[in-house]
Amino acid sequence: MSIITVATTKGGAGKTTLGRLILALLAMRGFKVAAIDADYNHTLTDWVTTAAKHPITVHHELDETKIVPLVSELHNTHDFVLIDTAGAASQATIFALGCADLVLVPISPSSADIVEGIKTINLINSASMMLKREVPARVVLTAVQPGTNIADHIENEVAKAKLPVLKTRLNRLVAFQEMSFTGIAPTSGPAGHQASNFLDDLAALGGLPESIKIAS
Amino acid sequence: MAKKDLASVTTDLSALAAMMPTQRAAPAPQPIAVEPTALKVVSTPATAAKAEPLTQFSFGLRKDLRKQLGRLADDADMTMRAFVLNALKDKGLDVRADDLLDLRKDRH
Repeated sequence: MSIITVATTKGGAGKTTLGRLILALLAMRGFKVAAIDADYNHTLTDWVTTAAKHPITVHHELDETKIVPLVSELHNTHDFVLIDTAGAASQATIFALGCADLVLVPISPSSADIVEGIKTINLINSASMMLKREVPARVVLTAVQPGTNIADHIENEVAKAKLPVLKTRLNRLVAFQEMSFTGIAPTSGPAGHQASNFLDDLAALGGLPESIKIAS
Repeated sequence: MAKKDLASVTTDLSALAAMMPTQRAAPAPQPIAVEPTALKVVSTPATAAKAEPLTQFSFGLRKDLRKQLGRLADDADMTMRAFVLNALKDKGLDVRADDLLDLRKDRH
């Protein structure tokens, strides 16, 4: 059983896109997956109920007092739980960070994404200190356009801020955008290749169910 | 370092959480009296565009620019059409997600 929380205090950085990708990839491999949507926009909930093609349990829950009990409940009945948070710091986000085996912090190519990404990593570090254990976290660079000045600049800024970055970058690819309509995770082409590498990275960090680690 | 224990998360993080806003629903605000004219529904450009048929659009550009555009679109795994529209979206063009779909074939 593994729990991944996707968080950044900036909206539009790719949190729900990452969530969709992980849930679809695991569900299509036959894992029993669940999601807690703690974002008031309930985009992930809408996607699960209207587009997702494989079974995914989803709960839209904004009440911070219910996040930890819900995670505990799903912990016993599912192989994997993903928590998608709102694009702002909130009490629900703090408890979602505390429940995680791994926190993913998406950063898309913008200055505000880097600023809020740094704030989120600092928030995770504060939570780690209070929990007296490390909450592993990685920045995920999303909507990357390789070979452009902005892509190079983002890489430099992230390195300068010493943020822990996931090895796999997710490019701005049509297949990732289409997922929001089709519900199907890419399995071939450049997007399929990146998705597979992304999953391998998560497995290596202990963010996925045990059998995925063996398979990869 | 301690081991993860979900039961202690709420207690351990309550002080940090207390510094953050809650997402719990606030009491419903009192309804505000509005003049009937303020409730008039108008068609938004997005709604109007939905019903619009597609139209052809073309323009000439230097061969080298065309090459660069093709390369950038390839790098982004996008059609040139989607790539250009996406760039114009940043400039304020009302581009919707379905405008960026590749209409030629399934690219998965």
